[in-house]
Amino acid sequence: MMLRNLKFAFNSAWQSFWRNLAVSLAAVLSITLILILAGINLLVGHAFSQVLDSFRQRVSEISINVADDTPLQQVYDFQQRLAGDPRVAGVKFVTKDEALAQFKSDPQNGVLTQQIEGNPLDAKLDVQVKSLTDVAAIDSLARNWAGVDPTDPTNYQGDFINRMLQLSQWLSLAGVGLLVVLSVASVVIVMNTIRTAVYHRRKEIEVMKLVGATEWFVRGPFVLEGVITGILAASIALALLVVAYEPVVSRFKSDVGFIPLSYDPAFISSLASDLLLAGALLGAVGSYIGVRRFVRI
Amino acid sequence: MVLTPDFATRPVISFQHVFKTYPTGTEALRDINLEVPEGDFLFLVGPSGAGKSTLVRLLIREEKPTRGKIFVDGVELGRMKRRKLPYYRRRVGLVFQDFKLLPNLTIYENVAFALRVLGEPDHKVQARVAEALDTVSLSGKENTYPANLSGGEQQRVAIARALVHAPRFIIADEPTGNLDPATGWEIMQLFLRINARGATVVMATHNREIVDLLRRRVIAIDAGQIARDERSGRYHDDVEKPQVRVQ
Repeated sequence: MMLRNLKFAFNSAWQSFWRNLAVSLAAVLSITLILILAGINLLVGHAFSQVLDSFRQRVSEISINVADDTPLQQVYDFQQRLAGDPRVAGVKFVTKDEALAQFKSDPQNGVLTQQIEGNPLDAKLDVQVKSLTDVAAIDSLARNWAGVDPTDPTNYQGDFINRMLQLSQWLSLAGVGLLVVLSVASVVIVMNTIRTAVYHRRKEIEVMKLVGATEWFVRGPFVLEGVITGILAASIALALLVVAYEPVVSRFKSDVGFIPLSYDPAFISSLASDLLLAGALLGAVGSYIGVRRFVRI
Repeated sequence: MVLTPDFATRPVISFQHVFKTYPTGTEALRDINLEVPEGDFLFLVGPSGAGKSTLVRLLIREEKPTRGKIFVDGVELGRMKRRKLPYYRRRVGLVFQDFKLLPNLTIYENVAFALRVLGEPDHKVQARVAEALDTVSLSGKENTYPANLSGGEQQRVAIARALVHAPRFIIADEPTGNLDPATGWEIMQLFLRINARGATVVMATHNREIVDLLRRRVIAIDAGQIARDERSGRYHDDVEKPQVRVQ
């Protein structure tokens, strides 16, 4: 019986979609546009998070400069203490010689290297912090350590990190805000489309109710019609986004090279499932609301 | 005034001190007390606006009484939960003055519709629709659309749809209102046959000739109250008015 009802609902929804083709297509196109915007929002969000991740990677590393007269044992103790800290992902001790070698190996320091006499560089502990928000705490821990170089304790740039954190928070907030606006818009569009379909079929609904159809039996075809509309729109939006994604990214990369944006084919499958799910859900919710008033027995 | 005929069988429909006032303040029904035994055939008569249609709407639970209780088959309609309502309506066959057929469906599909909403399997739908169309003498018109039928034929389709799920009650609101007298009489014959098979029939009508000819139970409603309840009644209680005599 369940299957028969589902078959009836699907046939009914399909018929209604084609019978009101002009209205249905208008809804599909409007939702397609909205989902394209949502998709762009997701893609831009993803690109930004990629960029932010690479920045995060860099700034979540902090170098603690070790004062020249610090006994080696004290450095090892501190290294061990840091390594045992749950906030720390890894600690590497770089001796004065290694630091100089690193400095010299950087071609940008070529001129400076020739002018250096002896080794003015500090030995250092390179600490990889797990979360960006914990870098400040590790920095203050380092500054309170007896072996730190008091003139130049760490390379921590608090302001920059704070700004990065703020920017990433604002960006995700703006993304969520935009998605909410787009969702509401598409629900309203589906709602009105389904209301038009319901208006055309009000007599049928009245007869359905009089012969003993349950509310879900009446509502089912309309909700399915909304889902069909949403999925069609999502498929079109997805196809367009997939086609445009790679060329747009490579164009962006050639124009604005300093931002490390990259084409990520793996993201397409997550975009596809997000958009199809969103299309189906928005279609269903819009229809449910649109038809609610009419099907109440 | 309460006039309840003393029937031997138990009532399947019972109105107990039913009042209905619409939100606009219109008092449509006042203190209706009524019992309908199983297998009864009763006419609801009265002038337009007397409250007949409100009584029908209360019976199919399109409206709830403002006060009082309505029992159908022992179940109180006013307290019935909304989700139970479809299952109640499946026990009732409804026929309206304007037929309420779906113009984009064929005759077969219109009648089958009442079974489709119940989720009946195809073979059962086919057999029962054929039987219902045979009862109303419309076999052979399965693929015709309502617009290509006469008013009488359309009402017969509506009756077939009301019958197809074998309801225990038939509630008809002015079923002959849009039909000429001869066709109206044909339709009445159908209702009589359905009643003879055991279904209880409640019919609101303005058709004086038919009521006077059939001499069935008549409940006259006037200004929202039961003015008369006669076991073998006429449309008017005023015998001076011209009557059609039963031969």
